[in-house]
Amino acid sequence: MATSKIEAPSPAPIESKPKSALNPQSANEAEATAAAGKEASQPPVGTNPHGIPDWRLEQSPFHIESEWANGEYRYKVTGDTNTPVPPMRPSKYLTKEQSIEMLRYMIINRRMEATLESMYKQSQVIGGLYLSLGQEACSVASAYALDKDDWLGPMIRNQGSMIVKGYQPSATMMQYMGKGASPTKGRDSGSHYGDLKKLNVVAPISHLGDSIGVLAGVALGARLQGKNIACLAYIGDGGQSTGPTYEGFNFAAVQRLGVVLVVEHNSWAYSTPVELQFACKDLADRAIGYGVPGVIVDGTDANQVYDATHEAVARAHRGEGASIIEAKLMRMKGHAMHDPAQYIPMAVKEYWKRRDPIARMEQYLKETDWMNEGQIAEMHAEVERFIDEERAVAEAAPMPEPEEAGTDVYFDNATDIPVKYGEVRVKHANPNRKLTEPSVHAHYK
Amino acid sequence: MAPVTYLEAIRQGIWEEMERDSRVFVMGEDVGAYGGAFKVTEGFVHKFGMERVIDTPISEMAIASAAYGASLTGLRPVGEFQFMDFISSAHSQIVQMLAKSNWRWGAPAPLVLRGPSGGGVSGGPFHSQNPEMFYVHTPGLKVIAPATARDAKGLIKSAIRDNNPVLFFEHKFLYRRVKEELPEEDYTVEIGKARVHREGRHISVITYASMVYVAQEAAEILEKEGIELEILDLRTLLPLDRDAIRRTVEKTNHVIVLHEDTKTGGIAGEVAAIINEEAFDSLDAPIVRITSMDAPVPFSPPLERAFLPKVEDVVREARRLMKY
Repeated sequence: MATSKIEAPSPAPIESKPKSALNPQSANEAEATAAAGKEASQPPVGTNPHGIPDWRLEQSPFHIESEWANGEYRYKVTGDTNTPVPPMRPSKYLTKEQSIEMLRYMIINRRMEATLESMYKQSQVIGGLYLSLGQEACSVASAYALDKDDWLGPMIRNQGSMIVKGYQPSATMMQYMGKGASPTKGRDSGSHYGDLKKLNVVAPISHLGDSIGVLAGVALGARLQGKNIACLAYIGDGGQSTGPTYEGFNFAAVQRLGVVLVVEHNSWAYSTPVELQFACKDLADRAIGYGVPGVIVDGTDANQVYDATHEAVARAHRGEGASIIEAKLMRMKGHAMHDPAQYIPMAVKEYWKRRDPIARMEQYLKETDWMNEGQIAEMHAEVERFIDEERAVAEAAPMPEPEEAGTDVYFDNATDIPVKYGEVRVKHANPNRKLTEPSVHAHYK
Repeated sequence: MAPVTYLEAIRQGIWEEMERDSRVFVMGEDVGAYGGAFKVTEGFVHKFGMERVIDTPISEMAIASAAYGASLTGLRPVGEFQFMDFISSAHSQIVQMLAKSNWRWGAPAPLVLRGPSGGGVSGGPFHSQNPEMFYVHTPGLKVIAPATARDAKGLIKSAIRDNNPVLFFEHKFLYRRVKEELPEEDYTVEIGKARVHREGRHISVITYASMVYVAQEAAEILEKEGIELEILDLRTLLPLDRDAIRRTVEKTNHVIVLHEDTKTGGIAGEVAAIINEEAFDSLDAPIVRITSMDAPVPFSPPLERAFLPKVEDVVREARRLMKY
């Protein structure tokens, strides 16, 4: 395979650009006024070559390409992987209490997965285990921006989002253990569960992108019932290549439905680097093609993820439609536990290890004097106790009864299914119109 | 009351359900101002408003996905595929996401996906297919394929009122070719129940959709020879009416399974297996399958005629069965 030599991109110049035409959300006056106070202390926002706002304080200083060298195929890193870790961008919206709560969710997310990892090694987990090390800020901070009535469409690594939405860590643990008390009664694994009635979570499937159009439909259903909701969907840099991603999100865009699509650019689709998945540099560029606002954020900076999602959610609540947020980050484990991810160059792992989202959040909270070392240590200890309790709950739960395998394939017809938000409201109908046979039918008679 | 076409019956069914239940809405390609490629939804947008009659992009995946999403909020969407051939573009959403929804996470999906299927109109390989068996093989779905105007209306209403995902395969050859008077009152036809289209003593022809009429023509020819066909119209393919299949086999002891779908993996194999399980001892002769050939649906009329099951096939096989 002949790959043309690509120079390592130098960090894009940070230029301040007031209001991009491609970013109507920044043009919203109410939001802008509310954030005006904190805006002043914000580092300037750059734009990528296509005019997409880029909130990051550091652009990727290196590049991965595939090459044939010494009779072997390998991935090669070009550029500098030793650049210093940038500070976090101060949030325009988060209070001290919210920031601290978000950190706790992120620690729960990580601790729960570390526990699952040890349970996997003790053969308590059945089948594969998919971890999100390095992605906790993206899951937690995006879901944290949702209101109670908003919906979530997680993927396999968004355990953190589901905890923020209200699930106990034992739910995911029981899922991975195939327990009868798991949300799917042992019928499916991992984060493949959801709740229609209270938490508003659409259970994902393994087919990538299939949830996006579903969340568009949820938003459509809510709008027909007179309510604008936000539906937060995730897709990876790998999953965004699928047709359902395009079809689902295009429908949301054209119908102006409040789907907030967080593209978790975690750098690897299983073993394949982004350079072999898409030809554009930033996936947020696709927002231009969809006709929606797009923004690029640092996915290891919880403040950037929260603020961008908060603005997109507000836009959805105002009925202004869909948005794309591209969060650049790194999957620090393999695709699943069986995969040691040896294909990832060591220098790249080290680069991202220094950008650990929890360490960055803790550093930020210390710098703002919102938490001190002792309080952070106490939070870790408290979460550890909590996760140990959750593990005990999961372990004590029974396995499913065999006869549950084939029940619930159909829902009964005697039970009425209620509307979620209220009566369907139509502005432009003409209810007096009678059914008459279309004239065109006569042609066929 | 004037006789009503099969197409008009479906139109009336959806219209009446939208009138009685504001949770019902339609979405699909060109269903709004244009009224649908076959005019099933003509006039709907003016009556019910653009909120409840939604023109979508050419995007079957989006239609199936969004219909499912809206059903999760308690609405009852009716998604139209312009031709059922295009259901393949929504396959993963249907078989993975919505079919498993209630079983996997207790989320019922009360929605209908409908559209015209079937051949006999020189539609070629992408506008003539009978793709129902992909979905009959998917637990969690219900699959319907009516043959008469009365059943089409009664079953589309039942499908809309059902709390599960229902795929509704209309037959485009029948759209304007069959007509009958319909009951004045609101009526439904139960999903999962077959119907004896014609009573007879000698051979059961188990069939559905447009092949009901092929069987009927054959029955009229054979009647003059003293051979009586009993025609069982399955109407619902998932769940199959096992009792009705058993009853007709016990009555006639001879079986032809006739369908327009191709042979291998067609429902004839499943029906034969059910007879094997439920009424093997009632058989006086081997079960005969008459189906389209195992090939794509051809375009040119002489080719399509060769491809589809014909009246003479049924007549020939019935005579042979009687001599067995």
